[in-house]
Amino acid sequence: MKRFAFFPGCLIPARHPGMEFAIRVTLPRLGIELVDLEGASCCPDPIYFKSKDKLSWLAIAARNLSLAEDLGVDVVTNCSGCTATLSETWHLLHEDPELKDKVNRRLAKIGRTYKGTSRIRHIATVARDEAGYDTIKASVTRPLEGLKVAIHYGCHLLKPSRIMNVDNPDDPQVLENLVRAIGAEPVRHRNWYLCCGKACQVEDIPNNMMHDLLGAVHDESADILGMICPTCFGQFDHGQMKIAKLFEEDYHTPPVYYFQLLALAQGIPYDQLGFDKQRFKPTVLQRYDEAAVVAEA
Amino acid sequence: MTNDDNDIVKVDFAFKRLLAQTVEGDLANFCYQCGACVGDCPAATYSDDFNPREIMLKVLYGLEDELLGEDSVIWECTNCYACHERCPQQVKPVEIIISLKNMLAARGRIPDVVAKVTKTFEETGRTVPYSPAIDKQRAKFGLPPLSPVPVEEIQALLEPAEGEVT
Repeated sequence: MKRFAFFPGCLIPARHPGMEFAIRVTLPRLGIELVDLEGASCCPDPIYFKSKDKLSWLAIAARNLSLAEDLGVDVVTNCSGCTATLSETWHLLHEDPELKDKVNRRLAKIGRTYKGTSRIRHIATVARDEAGYDTIKASVTRPLEGLKVAIHYGCHLLKPSRIMNVDNPDDPQVLENLVRAIGAEPVRHRNWYLCCGKACQVEDIPNNMMHDLLGAVHDESADILGMICPTCFGQFDHGQMKIAKLFEEDYHTPPVYYFQLLALAQGIPYDQLGFDKQRFKPTVLQRYDEAAVVAEA
Repeated sequence: MTNDDNDIVKVDFAFKRLLAQTVEGDLANFCYQCGACVGDCPAATYSDDFNPREIMLKVLYGLEDELLGEDSVIWECTNCYACHERCPQQVKPVEIIISLKNMLAARGRIPDVVAKVTKTFEETGRTVPYSPAIDKQRAKFGLPPLSPVPVEEIQALLEPAEGEVT
């Protein structure tokens, strides 16, 4: 078992426990052990708090990383925002010793030191690199055959690529391959590269962007919109209601966090995965439970 | 061609020096106005007001009023990092925009939504405030209660260290 410090962030543990449940169930089945990181705070978030006070943002992110350093393990994140904050902090402090000293002078106030010995990995890359697509495929007990999953990468998994080191941001493969590994069919729609718009503080930009994105997904007749970030998820779940009303269109495209899909494919029943909490419920997934019942009978 | 002083933009070096003191704010001077940051910018695609190359030009001139005044467009940025990805000079326009936002925040000017989220974080160490209902929901999935955050440590890190140069 490869061990990682689990950095759950704020949104998933507080708002989407079904996602956390799915992560904790699926990863051990891929040979990945998660160690809890006691005393971790918000990463802090890379869109609001970073914009208020970037130096404090670095110091608090460095504190979170130092908790993993104490355990001598790398960090696994389940949110693209946390990944961005922690990865960017690691890189900035690695490249700029003066800045690292400055951050460590703040950490000295609480008796901590940041060393830079723990690296940061998004859970999707841990699944890809530590387990591998074949292991994921082997863990699946009921492939999600016939399911068309539109792919939403979001921004901070891929960019900036020289810091994130995940995939080619102009032609990424990781989510497509993860979706294939569970027997479903990935769909790259024409607006796949667009952002969820969460950080933008004027309404028109994210509204029009999301309208174009959902329209493209709809044109592909995708069943669901698969993603790996809880912030994007919120934009496409609650946000989709607003867009549907504003543009008088009903796309009804349920967003689904990838590791809940993986859990379903590994045999966890639909009802145990928290999908009932979504505004747009991915009821299309219930058919895999029904198929399992038929197979058992 | 006339040489009228009124047509000449005067560079505000004092403002540029202030910007350069922010984390990565010193990268701005490497911008050579190629415009690579514009093509992939979602905010530029969906808004007539927002253009990262123009923001960078104003930064090069140090046009403080246009960058930080009432009509500032910097909060239209979606933080997607496409400009960071594309910039051949590694100026990281998104980080310059974040530096400008830091300067606005230091003057107490911050959008309401942002003020609310950052206040929650500064008071609790979380972006989503704790409530017993959260632990109740977690228990339904067999998950343990949220692990406590030592808020006093977070708050200590919000303040400069002794002798810290900003």
